[in-house]
Amino acid sequence: MQTRSMQTREAKKWVDRAIIAVLLLMGILMLMPFFWLFSMSFRPAAEAYKMPPSFFPPSFDVSNYQTVLASSVPFLKIYWNSLYVAVLVTIGQLVTCTLAAFAYARLRFPGRDSLFFVMLIGLMFPAQVTILPIYLGYAKLGLLNNPLGLVLMGLTSSFGVFMLRQFLRSQPKELEEAALMDGAGYFKIFWRISLPQLMPALGALAIITFTGAWNAYFQPRALITSQDSMTLPIAMDLLRGYMSQGNLSVVMAAMSMAILPVVLLFLVAQKMVIEGVTFSGIRA
Amino acid sequence: MQAGYVFVLPSIVLYAAFVLAPVAITIILSFTYYDISFGADWVGFENYVRFLTEPRSLEIFWNTLRFAFLAVSFNVAVGLILALALNRAMPTVLLYFFRLAFFLPVIISAAFVAVVWSYFYSVDFGVINYYLAQLGIGQVPWLSSSKFAMTSIVIMDVWKNTGFFMIILIAALQGVPKPIMDAASMDGASPWRRFSRITLPFISPVLFFCIVFASIGALQVFESIMILTGGGPGDSTRSLSIYLVDEAFGSFELGYAAAVSVIMMILVLIITIIQIIGSRRWVRE
Repeated sequence: MQTRSMQTREAKKWVDRAIIAVLLLMGILMLMPFFWLFSMSFRPAAEAYKMPPSFFPPSFDVSNYQTVLASSVPFLKIYWNSLYVAVLVTIGQLVTCTLAAFAYARLRFPGRDSLFFVMLIGLMFPAQVTILPIYLGYAKLGLLNNPLGLVLMGLTSSFGVFMLRQFLRSQPKELEEAALMDGAGYFKIFWRISLPQLMPALGALAIITFTGAWNAYFQPRALITSQDSMTLPIAMDLLRGYMSQGNLSVVMAAMSMAILPVVLLFLVAQKMVIEGVTFSGIRA
Repeated sequence: MQAGYVFVLPSIVLYAAFVLAPVAITIILSFTYYDISFGADWVGFENYVRFLTEPRSLEIFWNTLRFAFLAVSFNVAVGLILALALNRAMPTVLLYFFRLAFFLPVIISAAFVAVVWSYFYSVDFGVINYYLAQLGIGQVPWLSSSKFAMTSIVIMDVWKNTGFFMIILIAALQGVPKPIMDAASMDGASPWRRFSRITLPFISPVLFFCIVFASIGALQVFESIMILTGGGPGDSTRSLSIYLVDEAFGSFELGYAAAVSVIMMILVLIITIIQIIGSRRWVRE
């Protein structure tokens, strides 16, 4: 009896080890494209197509990075556009979504629930359904080929309002009620009581929004054609066209720079990113 | 009590301008022949009839559904398997490594990811084909053959997105009550039985969310296809979203493109409704 249970325990331990070994292997495979990308970006052009591919670059050659910055594609300007759009969109969403979420979660006013419902419906419309009128409107307003256009259309989101509202609703109300009794105005309650409670959720929303804006491809592609107004994801397409024949390493250097902010953000705020994602999934 | 309106005003105005009004206008546009310099001519259902009678449409429609079905099944299934495998005690270092490895692709733009993968997939100097050749398997025309192109896109999509579902499902698995599990183990329930009778029913609402969420995303797939194949070879990977963008910004057939996007929206709605109805059979309330 004793030995048998020891045997099963032993077997279980081996199963655990096997599972972890398989997961490790898969994890390494998952990371391979990133490794390959970085490694390729430090390789001299001639090495890029060498077979068999060497895992590590023969030397750390930063000339590919210099080539990107010196190329005819205005990479720094494009980088700046991406930052500009992603930062402003993030700030905008934090403001508009927090205000709205506070009202939907904590205030009473006629039509509140219908308004919230209409807002929620927004989660269902594919970007493809809104893009044509936005394109036509922007053409009239001169906002095509203007990063500001991308900012404006990203200033609020149903997702943000929904996420923050759910979060606020799960927080205790007592403090606010007490403050209300003491004669505090709604704005004061919002600023002094609700906002501090919302901080962790705001962090998660900020990361999700920034990453989303940084990564956006569909709308920028439809609304922007001039190189000077591009954001990184569409520029990457362009760079590939220019350089793929001759120099793969240069494209990979540009790509490494393009994914850097998001990778750093993830490494620094891993916990927050994952909690934000889980939150959005679980309580939706 | 009217303070509420002040707080919701900014979001409502922006939402009306960038979501509600555009959706309404797209629906109206879809009944017109729209010329950018001359304006709109009402043509009734002509655009819809055109889509439904165009011989290409069937393949495009089928591609959209096929991609969504494959991407959703594999993304959620692989995500679930990974979640189950990861939902056990292990050293923190490993946990961090797995989070990084499986979640990093999720947060990188599909546009960036697809550029890298297009080199992986290239026939002559692609890394994948090189190693396949080493294994004695010949060259696979990953993106240039209509037989493989869709599969290649699905493989990349699963690599990119499965980590998202994994994370959500891990959170769901952590909510499965341990006492029930332990009691079942004591009673000698096999791992499969514990999974199918306890775990699965318990996580079914989250699993359902994953399926719906994945489907909505996959039916709208754009950048991965655009960058890897641009819809080709032929029409073999052309999805509704690629087609509508070609029509809108390539041929400037805005009315027709609007009709295609309305059809896409209806497709998303129908699939979501079917899933909600179907879920009554298997999702635990």
